[in-house]
Amino acid sequence: MSEVRETIHESDDHHVASFGSTMTTFAVLALLAVIQLAVGFNDFGPMKILASLTITGIQVFVLSVFFMDLRQADKLTWLCAGASVFWVLIMFTFTLTDFVTRHMAAY
Amino acid sequence: MAASTMTQEAAPVAHHFNNMLQQQSTVRLGMWLFLVTEVLFFGGAFCAYTGYRIWFPKEFEAGSAALNCGIASVNTFLLLTSSLTCTLAIRAAYKNNQFGIKLWLLATIVLGTVFLGLKGREYHLDYEEGLIPTSRTIVVQEKQDDGTYLPKERSQFAENVTKVLKQEGYKTEGVYMPRVQLFFVFYYVMTGLHVIHMIIGIGLLSWQLTLAQMGFFKHPERYVYIEVMSLYWHFVDMVWMFLLPLLYFAGPHTLEQAIGQFQMAIGLASGHHE
Repeated sequence: MSEVRETIHESDDHHVASFGSTMTTFAVLALLAVIQLAVGFNDFGPMKILASLTITGIQVFVLSVFFMDLRQADKLTWLCAGASVFWVLIMFTFTLTDFVTRHMAAY
Repeated sequence: MAASTMTQEAAPVAHHFNNMLQQQSTVRLGMWLFLVTEVLFFGGAFCAYTGYRIWFPKEFEAGSAALNCGIASVNTFLLLTSSLTCTLAIRAAYKNNQFGIKLWLLATIVLGTVFLGLKGREYHLDYEEGLIPTSRTIVVQEKQDDGTYLPKERSQFAENVTKVLKQEGYKTEGVYMPRVQLFFVFYYVMTGLHVIHMIIGIGLLSWQLTLAQMGFFKHPERYVYIEVMSLYWHFVDMVWMFLLPLLYFAGPHTLEQAIGQFQMAIGLASGHHE
């Protein structure tokens, strides 16, 4: 047990983000929100949803890595975050495989 | 007083942990595991939305065009700023700055409450415009080719949405209104779930603010509780980042329209529906 204690939790290498770093992250997120609104208030046709979701993806990445501190997280936390994305992808894939192809069964 | 005594007596490291760092890692992991369940919970709603939007793109665009983008845009920045103040609360806790913890927790609570206030106003406006899914029907007098009028039974919801969309200058030809009603079911369920999460979050933040008043969050023992609370709050912000483009910007909107809608919502301009 003592070996586990020493190897996994031997030092506190967790550092809180500096004020400047926090404000930079916020500025990036605010800029992305402005771009999101600019896309929303214009007509890009079918590209609009792709552009919107791409911006959302970047926002979620910045928020989780910096504000939610994934960058300093251990492997188990990364596994949690990755697992949630993985299971959501499975849910979307199987559900949409049915929904998107259902009309094909009529022929 | 009893609670204060209890917090002073509570051991910083629970007996089943080896040390403080292991305890903190476990607290963080616990919240992340909870967030995994939350991702799947909201994922189900987003998955259903995606399926029906692929099926009925025109109707979902029409439904979105009837929403108030002005309030949603302002709320986006309120929630984003509350994520910043929540992060600053962690920093204050890490630096053992007791005043900072209270200040930034309070700022987060205020921003979240303003968000909810505006969201409540938006729901109220939707209610006033009759944008509530219902099976209720009304009888209208429809003009015939020979100039006479015949009573016809129409969907109350369809009449209301058509009226709002015409005011927005949106063409409703070929839009099947029962499917627009389906969009509004998604709109109320998804934003409603988000609102419930925000109410819970504000409740928990208020509880933490009360504990902060008692000097509970000392570094290094207990700062991590502020950190895991912020994880939840950031997640709520993350859900909104998806709701904004999928619900509000699925249809056409303009900046001028959004500014007008927001001014009308907060009483700076008269509403077109009044």
